[in-house]
Amino acid sequence: MTASSESRHGPTMQVYVVVWIGSICLVGAEVLLAYAHLRTPVLLATLLALAVLEAGAALLFFMHLKYERPTLFWSLIPALIFVLVMMDHLWPDALRLWSLRAP
Amino acid sequence: MADSAMTAQSGAAHAGVLEHSPFGIRTPKLAMWLFIMADAATFGAILFAYGYLRVGAANWTRPFAFFPSILNGIVMTVVLLTSSLTMLTAVVAAQRGRVAACVRWMGVTALLGAAFAVLHLREWFKMFHEGWSPSTNPLGGPAQFGATFFGITGLHLLHVTCGVIAIAVIALLVRRGRLTAAAVETTGLYWHFVDLVWMFVFPLVYLMNAR
Repeated sequence: MTASSESRHGPTMQVYVVVWIGSICLVGAEVLLAYAHLRTPVLLATLLALAVLEAGAALLFFMHLKYERPTLFWSLIPALIFVLVMMDHLWPDALRLWSLRAP
Repeated sequence: MADSAMTAQSGAAHAGVLEHSPFGIRTPKLAMWLFIMADAATFGAILFAYGYLRVGAANWTRPFAFFPSILNGIVMTVVLLTSSLTMLTAVVAAQRGRVAACVRWMGVTALLGAAFAVLHLREWFKMFHEGWSPSTNPLGGPAQFGATFFGITGLHLLHVTCGVIAIAVIALLVRRGRLTAAAVETTGLYWHFVDLVWMFVFPLVYLMNAR
């Protein structure tokens, strides 16, 4: 078995464990917030923000995106964000079709 | 033949002919990244669809009590996060040439993935027993709850199942010396993505429907 040298400088196990503990803490915070009687839009925004934080840490450290060449990040992530934003903008049109149905 | 040897041979034969990858990574890893981006868009689409259906329904059902549903979800989340850590341990072991440790940690990862699937299926069967299905809502709310819940969690469960099988097969091939650390790293990418998707499914599908 040969060592992989694709990632320029991979993180250490200590970094992985810190990210793992941080992610579990964020999950704990999400559960507490779910029972904090927040208004639904506020709860949704907060849970989404925490999920994006967790996902970002997983992408950067667990999936090593932070340690790859920047071209990989800039080729993948902005395109994905663009697709997701466009979905968010275009889904209401899909729901509008319901009201166009013949009775 | 080990794929590193194949790559080296191919690289030597085509030196000066093929361009260097602008990403500095091997083709299988780039292919995995592209698959992950496409899959992320798929999960994004069904989560957006769920979000719009939920907002559009006035009497959306919130069926999940803390015990057992949310507690079960917390355990599933911790199990999946821990499996990501064990997968990383396997990748590090593989990169250091420690085949036995790599195979052992991949085995632990596959077991944790299987535990996640069992916990998930147990919850599903409990819901089926209570009368839930993709088209029925025993609580009288909109039937779309079942369709979105079983659709989203089912697609994720399918990814987990495929991941467990892939990890087991890759571990076997690594033990036989037919694959290298690069294959373990690429498999790890997929597994972390499955974990990453759950980070959105758990709060949006479970916690937003807690009562």
